[in-house]
Amino acid sequence: MAVQRCRYRCPCAILPPEILRRIASRGNRAQREAALATLATDQTLRLARATHQLLDAGARKPSLTLPELAKQRTIYDAGHQETLPGRVVRAEGSPAGKDVEVNEAYDGLGATFDFFAAVYDRNSIDDEGMHLDASVHYGRRYDNAFWNGRQMVFGDGDGDLFNRFTISLDVIGHELTHGVTGDEAKLVYLGQAGALNESISDVFGSLVKQRAQKQTAAQADWLIGAGLFTSKVSGVALRSMKAPGTAFDDPVLGRDEQPATMAGYVNTTTDNGGVHTNSGIPNHAFYVAAMAFGGYAWEKAGRIWYETLRDRRLKQTSTFRQFAVLTAQNASQLFGAPGRKIVAAAWKEVGVDVGR
Amino acid sequence: MRIDFRIDGGLAAFPGLAKPVSIDCAALPANDAARLGKLVRKADFFGMPPPRIVAPMPDARAYTIAIDDGLQCRTLTFAEPIADASMRELVAELRLRAGASRRGGDTR
Repeated sequence: MAVQRCRYRCPCAILPPEILRRIASRGNRAQREAALATLATDQTLRLARATHQLLDAGARKPSLTLPELAKQRTIYDAGHQETLPGRVVRAEGSPAGKDVEVNEAYDGLGATFDFFAAVYDRNSIDDEGMHLDASVHYGRRYDNAFWNGRQMVFGDGDGDLFNRFTISLDVIGHELTHGVTGDEAKLVYLGQAGALNESISDVFGSLVKQRAQKQTAAQADWLIGAGLFTSKVSGVALRSMKAPGTAFDDPVLGRDEQPATMAGYVNTTTDNGGVHTNSGIPNHAFYVAAMAFGGYAWEKAGRIWYETLRDRRLKQTSTFRQFAVLTAQNASQLFGAPGRKIVAAAWKEVGVDVGR
Repeated sequence: MRIDFRIDGGLAAFPGLAKPVSIDCAALPANDAARLGKLVRKADFFGMPPPRIVAPMPDARAYTIAIDDGLQCRTLTFAEPIADASMRELVAELRLRAGASRRGGDTR
């Protein structure tokens, strides 16, 4: 019988109910009480599990014991090949080495895990303690980073336009948040739902950085990927949540085409329907809401967006408006009428009407 | 042989990087042209079955390659990560060439 440690750090042995019932009827008084308490808890867990199963329609495996809240990071070196994951170069708890990308990936995964754990009580990507894996040195002069459904992948950059892709903590947070979205709302990566998927990664990627730097909404730069461009590029970052469409304007990369409002919504067949372009609209709504709430953005605006991401009413094919309506409802639940008013006003500023 | 290559998607939308790049092998040094021809043959570009369409992975890219070798032409799109090793090799080479050609057009 496996003895697992639960997140409350007590050893939980899983005994079959028939053994517990035998103890409850035949054991001494202390044993009987303990067994009965376990059976009662077990019953509650079964009920909770059945309820979740109904809601999930079998989408997620329920776990009887909550896994321990602990980071399990593994960093791999892809050795400039495009095969994953590569060889292990740093495991959880081992000291920093000389490879900057390995260390940045390790620390970035740690900061992201800590953010979700401390702020939203989330145990890793799947809230069940999923191990965090990342491969660095992927490909030759590879200028991208992505989430493949199981792990993060970072290129070194081409050295001409892009530096190493581990350089920005918010990019690491962005990639891991794709994992969270894949576990919760499962927003399809297309059109408005895809742009929401992208925006949610920018929101929490930025919040990971803001929390690591102890910045209030007013102090934050609200940039995604600052430091990623080499000095040859005229631009500050990949995107700006504060001022979408202003992050870069460069002869080789082109101009940042992100709209800040629905009036500028881009209909396109490229990039899965412009998921990295139209994300500017929900990004800016979040920024406006966070500034209106004031203080640390992860506490109110971030909490509202996180609860909306986990809201079972949020559809995989949600539009901006459907998402916005849920943020307003969650704002009301969490922070009352004043919270709702702030969120509704933020969406209105970007041209999304959440109604009354 | 003429190769048109286009990169779609990635961590951010860069209009400049999304522009197709055209490679005319006749205009390349003989060594480079031979190398590209070898990679195209090794990947069996004209003979391979079309890649399976899968749900896009966040921030991953898709590469569209059109090749005209004078006798036949074919256009295929591959989403990364690309499973086939020789196709990966061809795409990596085209990506490097596309980068170099963009830099060539820039005087910095």
